Amino acid sequence: MFVSIFAFEVRRLTRTLSTYIYFFILFAVAFLLALLAGGAFPGDQTVMFGEKVYANAPTVIDQLVGGISNFIGLIIVVAVIGNAILKDFSSNIYTMIFTTPVSKFDYLCGRFSASLFVCLLILTAPALGIMLGYATPWVNPDKITAFSLIPYALTYVQTIIPNTIITGVIFFAVSLISRDIFVIWLSLVIFLVARGVSNSIVGSLENQTIAALLDPMGNLAKRAMSKYWTVDQDNHLYYSMRGLFLANRLIWLGMAGIIWSIGYYYFSFTSSPRKLLFRKQKLADSSKLTFVPSFINRNALPAVTRSFTTGANFKNLWGLSINECLALWRNIYFRIIMLFGVVFLFIASTQVGKIYDVTVYPVTYKVVESLAGTFSLFMVIVIIMFSGELVWKSRDFRMSNILDSLPVPNWVFYASKMAGLIFMQLLLLAVIMICGIIVQLFKGYTNFEILLYVKYLLGFYFIDLVLLAVLSVFIQTLVNNKYLGYFIIILFYIWNLFFAQLVLKHKLFVFSSDPGFEYSDMNGFGHLVFPYYVFKIYWGAFCILLAVLSSLLWARGSENNLKLRWTHALNKANRASWAVATIALLTFMAAGGYIYYNTNVLNKFRTEFQQEELQANYEKKFKRFEFAPQPKITDVQVSVDIFPSERNLHTTGTFVLKNKSHFAIDSVHVLLPSSIKVNSLSFSRQSQLQLNDSNGYSYRIYKLAQAMQPGDTITLSFNIDMITKGFRESFTGLSRPLYNGTFVNNQDFLPAIGYDPNFELSDNNQRKKHSLGYRPTANAITDTAQYQRNVFTHDADFITFDATVSTVPDQTAMAPGYLVKEWTDNGRHYFHYKMDKPILNFYSFLSARYTVKKEVYNGINLEIYYQKGHEYNLDRMFNGMKKSLQYYTANFSPYQHKQVRILEFPRYATFAQSFPNTIPFSEGIGFIADVDDSSKEDVDYPFYVTAHEVAHQWFAHQVIGANVEGSNMLSESLAQYGAIMVMEKEYGEDRLRKFLHIEMDNYLRSRANEAEKEKTLERVDDGQQYILYQKGGIVMHALNKYMGEDSLNHALKRFIERYAFQGPPYPTTLDLVASLRQSTPDSLQYFITDAFEKITIYDNKITEAHLDSNKGGSKYIVNVTVDSKKIYADSTGKETPVPSNDYIEIGIYNDKTTLAQVQRYKLKGGETKLSIPVSKRPYKVVIDPRLLLIDKKLDDNEMKLEGGEKKK
Amino acid sequence: MLQITNLSKTYPNGVQALKDVTLNISNGMFGLLGPNGAGKSTLMRTIATLQDADSGTIMFGDIDVSKQKQELRKVLGYLPQEFGVYPKVSAEEMLHYIARLKGIANDKERKELVKALLEQVNLYNHRSKSLGGYSGGMKQRFGIAQALIGNPKLIIVDEPTAGLDPAERLRFNNLLSEIGENIVVILSTHIVDDVSELCKDMAIIAGGKVVQRGNPEELVQGLENKVWSKRVGKDEVSHYQSEYKLILAKLSGGSMKVYINNDTDPGDGFKPEHATLEDIYFSNIS
Repeated sequence: MFVSIFAFEVRRLTRTLSTYIYFFILFAVAFLLALLAGGAFPGDQTVMFGEKVYANAPTVIDQLVGGISNFIGLIIVVAVIGNAILKDFSSNIYTMIFTTPVSKFDYLCGRFSASLFVCLLILTAPALGIMLGYATPWVNPDKITAFSLIPYALTYVQTIIPNTIITGVIFFAVSLISRDIFVIWLSLVIFLVARGVSNSIVGSLENQTIAALLDPMGNLAKRAMSKYWTVDQDNHLYYSMRGLFLANRLIWLGMAGIIWSIGYYYFSFTSSPRKLLFRKQKLADSSKLTFVPSFINRNALPAVTRSFTTGANFKNLWGLSINECLALWRNIYFRIIMLFGVVFLFIASTQVGKIYDVTVYPVTYKVVESLAGTFSLFMVIVIIMFSGELVWKSRDFRMSNILDSLPVPNWVFYASKMAGLIFMQLLLLAVIMICGIIVQLFKGYTNFEILLYVKYLLGFYFIDLVLLAVLSVFIQTLVNNKYLGYFIIILFYIWNLFFAQLVLKHKLFVFSSDPGFEYSDMNGFGHLVFPYYVFKIYWGAFCILLAVLSSLLWARGSENNLKLRWTHALNKANRASWAVATIALLTFMAAGGYIYYNTNVLNKFRTEFQQEELQANYEKKFKRFEFAPQPKITDVQVSVDIFPSERNLHTTGTFVLKNKSHFAIDSVHVLLPSSIKVNSLSFSRQSQLQLNDSNGYSYRIYKLAQAMQPGDTITLSFNIDMITKGFRESFTGLSRPLYNGTFVNNQDFLPAIGYDPNFELSDNNQRKKHSLGYRPTANAITDTAQYQRNVFTHDADFITFDATVSTVPDQTAMAPGYLVKEWTDNGRHYFHYKMDKPILNFYSFLSARYTVKKEVYNGINLEIYYQKGHEYNLDRMFNGMKKSLQYYTANFSPYQHKQVRILEFPRYATFAQSFPNTIPFSEGIGFIADVDDSSKEDVDYPFYVTAHEVAHQWFAHQVIGANVEGSNMLSESLAQYGAIMVMEKEYGEDRLRKFLHIEMDNYLRSRANEAEKEKTLERVDDGQQYILYQKGGIVMHALNKYMGEDSLNHALKRFIERYAFQGPPYPTTLDLVASLRQSTPDSLQYFITDAFEKITIYDNKITEAHLDSNKGGSKYIVNVTVDSKKIYADSTGKETPVPSNDYIEIGIYNDKTTLAQVQRYKLKGGETKLSIPVSKRPYKVVIDPRLLLIDKKLDDNEMKLEGGEKKK
Repeated sequence: MLQITNLSKTYPNGVQALKDVTLNISNGMFGLLGPNGAGKSTLMRTIATLQDADSGTIMFGDIDVSKQKQELRKVLGYLPQEFGVYPKVSAEEMLHYIARLKGIANDKERKELVKALLEQVNLYNHRSKSLGGYSGGMKQRFGIAQALIGNPKLIIVDEPTAGLDPAERLRFNNLLSEIGENIVVILSTHIVDDVSELCKDMAIIAGGKVVQRGNPEELVQGLENKVWSKRVGKDEVSHYQSEYKLILAKLSGGSMKVYINNDTDPGDGFKPEHATLEDIYFSNIS
């Protein structure tokens, strides 16, 4: 019986068209993704899996095949398996089947296994599509390695088969229990969303194991396996069924078994399902009227007045809308969804704004953004789903025969459905707001900014939801098939979200788009409100057009083909609608024109390609001037007028230029951003403008009447404007004046001297496209010519600086230097700053309505300029400044200034940056951090960031490296070292460990995604943040422990003494390493080599540990077997184990967190047995407890100690 | 009042549902009798503005139905052949909803009307029950109640008694018996008794064409003394079919009985029968 049911079902499915359509969809998607991954679309920028990872590397194949199967494939699994039994009910065949002698087992198993079998056949499509995609001639041959069937087969066996069984069983069981297609789809939505959320919230380091086990699709388990895989390993290693991945598969197959049994026992051969939620009962017609004739007497009906005016229609609309809303409100599924959404929001809320695993205060904007962000996919799905439900409701319930013949114009029907949808959206948004307030309340935060909630939710998010609803109702109206409608809407949505901008370039063609907006406590929604609404008017008008068309083409009556509906729409009676449509169309075009005028006429619009082209042309035209001798700036005097509300800058100033070269200079090259309007620009010597190329960068060459001899100085005077006109196509925040919180630096708007290679195209793939040659990521460390320039500014060494800044009366304007004078004149607020010491040619101007807090420490003025309300962490920052100044002056060199100022700027960018005695600090990091000091782990990052930035006053502003590879290490890694030491002094080693752990994880994960090649710390590139910060910090901290704090700091001190405030030649990391080697004993020279000149990774572990009591006294003996392995990696991540004989620490803990003793051993590679006497009963033994060595697997570095009971 | 002229309709699948139908219908209840698939519902739906004919016109008074759908809908009451209900919505709520859509904006008036209607169709006791739980007869009574909202001048009742048990059918027809006064009511049905019980004017439609038209009684009168019957063996039916104008052959007490139409006594063992509307029906559709 089973066999015949199985065979029949397979035959039926293989004869069904949809089976082939599913196969084709999967195949096509896979084929396209393969082309995308294989680099077949040269215009696009998407590097899907790291530039150097082959598109057909095992991990990439697994991700592609697995991804397609887990999302699109899942929908197909639900459609096929979820329907395996259900179709018998929908087609009423069940009455015949249930009365045959077939057994429940044969029936259910036969149907399930047959549909599972067909699903598995369909799910071969992704692999086939990808294989074919890679076999086409369009893919970039550099991205492809030799074909192998193994990764496809492994993915199929390890991922697709188990996942199909697991999800198939779940949805089969749901179909057995509910017998309702809607419930099945609903449970799919819940499944998808729950999966997404749990994946996103269990992301922190500690939860990775549990997350890997909980993910039913096994993705997180695979990710845990491969997260530190380097490019080379990505290219060669396969996922194998072991460890977490194996456990995950077994757990979920077991779960599937349980779910299957529940569904199996629940199901019975009855016509109606056992009702889960509510019972229905037929009313018996009990009236005994059969023999008592009763007539309808129309004349006895009360008289009524009827009206069909437009006014009455609106009144009708109101009533109908209320009805739609009520119906929705009563909808049991909607309630389930809402309930689910609430749960989901609360779970998500625990993760609001985490940095370094530390949460922020639940300020309203964070809460809204975080909740609305996690809720958005959910809302989109609900809107799409219910738009279909509402459009189809009257037909699905066969009420349309009555309703369609009622004297109600289409638009009333249409508008009432929209009202229902909008009501639903408002409810969802209200849920966000209520949950948000509850979350704030629970965290003890009571500054509810209700108005801000409303602005965010109704002013911004709501509009997009309405536009989406109009679009999906339009598509539902047009295609006139609910499921096809869903399919088209989802396809369009994905296209619009991910591809439209990529392909069509301009937001004018991306449905519901806007330039973007970002709220800042300092700047509110700022200048982004106006363009946002212009774009929404544009799309709103478009949607009104769609709305009119929807109501004109509203399916009504029993014949619904589009052609017929179109004829009806053209009926004279619809003139008013067409008039509205015309107005909407005109508005749409006018708004579009206005947008175009702003984005492309008033401002320059460039596609990514055009932008690259500009850079390429710049290089092609002017590269030849790179080494042309140019004078250097030695003195800067500027007067900057900031106009926050107009968002303009007016600047006059003079630069003193000095010929520091050995050649005569007859022409000066002046480089300016092309957006700067030059009113005048002149030299103290007569000059002539010889070339003015203002394409992208304004490159000017001034020919001096009389050449500058070596040592000569001249003065450059200028009068320039930065004018903001209209708005741009996409959001721009900083580097232009803002209403409140202006932050611009000299590179944004002031002239620079000579060709700047930083503007060149750096990405070598892009360079190829524009026929430029290979460009190394940095100048070679041996390129001594580059020692003449520092890595920050090519056109100056150290300068003297004087600035007058003016702004509006209620704002404070800031620049580096000491305030000499403050005055008001002509309605402007002036500040004159003067710097007493030479500084780098790198300075900034800020203006905002600041509140100031001041302290004095050892004669140094400490000041924080902040947004009122952001007082939370001021004390931590002050403490950070004080402790840093203390440590750095004691250990490195005196502080060159008499003040440190922290200046808050809007969160459009989240960084802090050190300018001479001035530190702009984003409101997005630190100001609202909620550091829990009672936790032993929370990283006090406001303190840490402050310490890091203050350290830059030494490392960058005292010592600056040459313009070659590695030099950024001299500022970033050393500043990071300073900050780590200050943190360790303040919080102790135990609390630092968490920080180091996060940094190590970060380094290992980032190096796995390296796009070019991983370089050593000594040669690190400018862009390799993970080496500069993470590895640099860890290595310097380790060096501190190995060679001793005093000798390391002494070495740094000597280095600073030697190079501080020196002009060219600038030092390189070679100089630093040499300096360090001088202070390092011979026994540790290997460590300097490993740390700076190699990429070194350890795989240390404890393989065995046992506690024995010492026979003699009261002491214990820890007997431990440690295993050490040192690995060198090359720049692609290829690893070679090397013999080692290194110092490694072994630590003993007395309880879970207290490190009681640390001892250093010289351990050979491989296993070593050690016996460590201890005086108190130990808890665990740990190899490298202070995280001095970079180790890929930390959880095998420790072992709990058992035994040690005293023998009696 | 209702003037249907040369109405034709062919569906995309090639079925010609209406062939040049012309009918004049005045006030009172008009019976439209025909077998399943004769085109009744197509005609009903076309009059009820739910679909369009390929050619021909329907005029109701001054209203050209295909061009002024909205106007016709204002005077229309329509009980479709088949309709569903929203789950968890009561009869009272649904009537309110429809009353509103029919332009009765005044809450109080609507309330009174709904109450009166519920009473008249004997659903008042069940007014707050969900429509989904109604039996077939109750649902049809609800259907006629909603059709009566708004004082319609044209009521279309499409196969209302199909699927009802005899008692429910009787009760329903009782309800309908008086509504045709002063307005046009079209009752489409395949049940001959419905027409003979309720209508003073009727047409028989078969294969998309009007094949007979008139007052039921007069039609029956015209056939009086022309119907003859005889018990025959099952294998003899085809013989009688070729020999006589056979109206129908039906089983009666285990053997076959043939009915023929003959102006005079055919002899041959035939007995005279009283003419019924059924005879008219069958002689027109065979």
